[in-house]
Amino acid sequence: MTPQKRSHHRLKRAVAPYLYLSPSLLIIGLLMLLPMVTVIAYSFQNSAVLRRDPSFAGLKHYQAIFADPVFWASLWHTLYFTCMSVVFHMTIGMVFALMLNSDRINPTLRNILRVLYILPWLFTAVIIAVIWRLLLEPNGVVNSILMQMGIIGSKVEWFSSPETALHAVTFANIWAGYPLFMVSLLAGLQGIPKDFYEAADIDGAKAYQKLIFITIPQLMPIIISISLLDFIWTMQVFPLIWITTGGGPIYSTEVLSTYTYKLAFSSYNLSQASASAVVILLISLGLTLFYIRYQKAR
Amino acid sequence: MAEVILENICKTYGNNFHAIDQLNLSVEDGEFLILVKPSGCGKSTALRMIAGLEDVTSGSLRIGGVDVVDMPPKDRDIAMVFQSYALYPHMTVFENIAFSMRLAGKPKAERKKRVDEIAKTLQLTSLLDSKPANLSGGQRQRVAMGRAMVREPAAFLMDEPLSNLDAKLRVQMRAEITSLQKQLGVTTIYVTHDQTEAMTMGDRVAVLKGGVLQQVDTPKRLYESPVNAFVAGFIGSPSMNLFEATLTGDELMSGTFAIRLQDAAFVRRPSLRTYAGRKVVFGIRPEDLYDSSLESGRKYQTIPAKVTSIEELGSEHIVHLSIDAVRVDSGDPDAVQDFGMTSNAVAKFEPVSTVLPGSEIRLAVDDAKLHFFDPETHLAI
Repeated sequence: MTPQKRSHHRLKRAVAPYLYLSPSLLIIGLLMLLPMVTVIAYSFQNSAVLRRDPSFAGLKHYQAIFADPVFWASLWHTLYFTCMSVVFHMTIGMVFALMLNSDRINPTLRNILRVLYILPWLFTAVIIAVIWRLLLEPNGVVNSILMQMGIIGSKVEWFSSPETALHAVTFANIWAGYPLFMVSLLAGLQGIPKDFYEAADIDGAKAYQKLIFITIPQLMPIIISISLLDFIWTMQVFPLIWITTGGGPIYSTEVLSTYTYKLAFSSYNLSQASASAVVILLISLGLTLFYIRYQKAR
Repeated sequence: MAEVILENICKTYGNNFHAIDQLNLSVEDGEFLILVKPSGCGKSTALRMIAGLEDVTSGSLRIGGVDVVDMPPKDRDIAMVFQSYALYPHMTVFENIAFSMRLAGKPKAERKKRVDEIAKTLQLTSLLDSKPANLSGGQRQRVAMGRAMVREPAAFLMDEPLSNLDAKLRVQMRAEITSLQKQLGVTTIYVTHDQTEAMTMGDRVAVLKGGVLQQVDTPKRLYESPVNAFVAGFIGSPSMNLFEATLTGDELMSGTFAIRLQDAAFVRRPSLRTYAGRKVVFGIRPEDLYDSSLESGRKYQTIPAKVTSIEELGSEHIVHLSIDAVRVDSGDPDAVQDFGMTSNAVAKFEPVSTVLPGSEIRLAVDDAKLHFFDPETHLAI
């Protein structure tokens, strides 16, 4: 091979991987990076989108949303909604996964339960919202059952009362989201060698000790990964809240996503909406970096 | 320390499969007993029943004089070393070894003292803070031993503990486990499918086939006096050659050759005379067949054979042969591997042998070392 041919061959080898990657890089650039950069740019402009020649606004829109008590209420609601959802997704997912993995349950019953438990995953957010709006209606099934059981004295307006609305949407979101944890943890449980439990049996471990010393440590990588992903995803939930409460009543279920949407499409303040979107982006970015670092550390 | 006694132990699964059938076994205090079975026979079942990890269908099981059939594993005063070692990957070596003490609520200082002692015995002191993933196969094996030792049990149960190690390490660990067992003097039941482990490690060896105990004896007696063709074929590597022949007078007739038997053969086995004029199964170990052209083979009578292939191992030659006789299957699934399509006998020749593949030779047979089995029952005559 001549030196010229060799260098040509080397160049080809160096370029090849980038050529293979180029279609996906192009798509990511067009569909993700470009909108992201545009939104960031809007957040620093006056009358973004609405005017042909928007002027530079500096941090004005950020100052405006940080001064808005509704923004802080939305942030708090988002954190409450997200933290409660993730904690309960994990707890319920774990309990159901343990139940489905147990060999003490009759195999037929186990198969039925497996289908039942996974049902919420089959519905889209819109259907889940409609189901829970119907169930939690003042004249709905839930009120009727709770009243018959004597738990509540009068009909509760779950989605319409500022005291209960945030809890109600959080509850609906918990119901909708636990199957991801359940399925992931079940797969994890099935991957734990039986020998570990047998060795622990011989060593005299009780059921709770096996859970604490073997099951949970073995599932920890899954628990952390899925919790982080769930946190990132739940923070951005929009349709469920939009369809059930629309962020109301009196901002009591306003979360960052509905707050941003309203700024953009109700108030047409696209610059402030962009600033709010950038805040969501930064929070998500922080969590994503944490997730990537965790994955790398493993 | 204690003796382990199994009486009429049966294990039947839901589909009526008898994994263990009427197993009677008595393991003395401090004894090292090897339970050996050909591969793929669910051989761990007996051990798992002793451990309490499998229910006993019927029979009695006593450890140290106590009937443990209905006892949970933790109360049986046993420790088990698993084939996979079952080391907890998220715990350090120290935590793995100390796990049972932690469960029992033993104080930290006591745990540390005991684990340090064991680590010293097993040369694990420098590895106590490591995780199992960072250990070599041999080191993991030692940690598994340590975890069993920390409980100071009445009996050790070991389920093919060396099967995940490479051949060289296996030889080393074989010696380590044997000397450790002698040092601790704890009753040990060791399951393996490897007959080399069985022959080299145990005080006694129990051979099982299809859930039925065939013979329990010292390795030497198993080798010299197998009770049936299965044990004869299973113990020894390569396996004993087993052929069908007709006993005519004091000669074994098979195809085109005859082997003359000495009077001693009949004196040792008076019932052999009753097979006169009938078929009989005779067995000869590869090491009792010689190259007749060498000094070592000159004193024996010879039979014709054709060399099909030779494996030169340096210290010896494994010679695959074809002789004019019908080979008998001992029932050991592993034995089939010793024979190719064209050969029906295996011999171990000295490395100075110059026989070549394809050549017709005279095969010297040490007739004093012949074994005889009933052709129907395969029991030793």
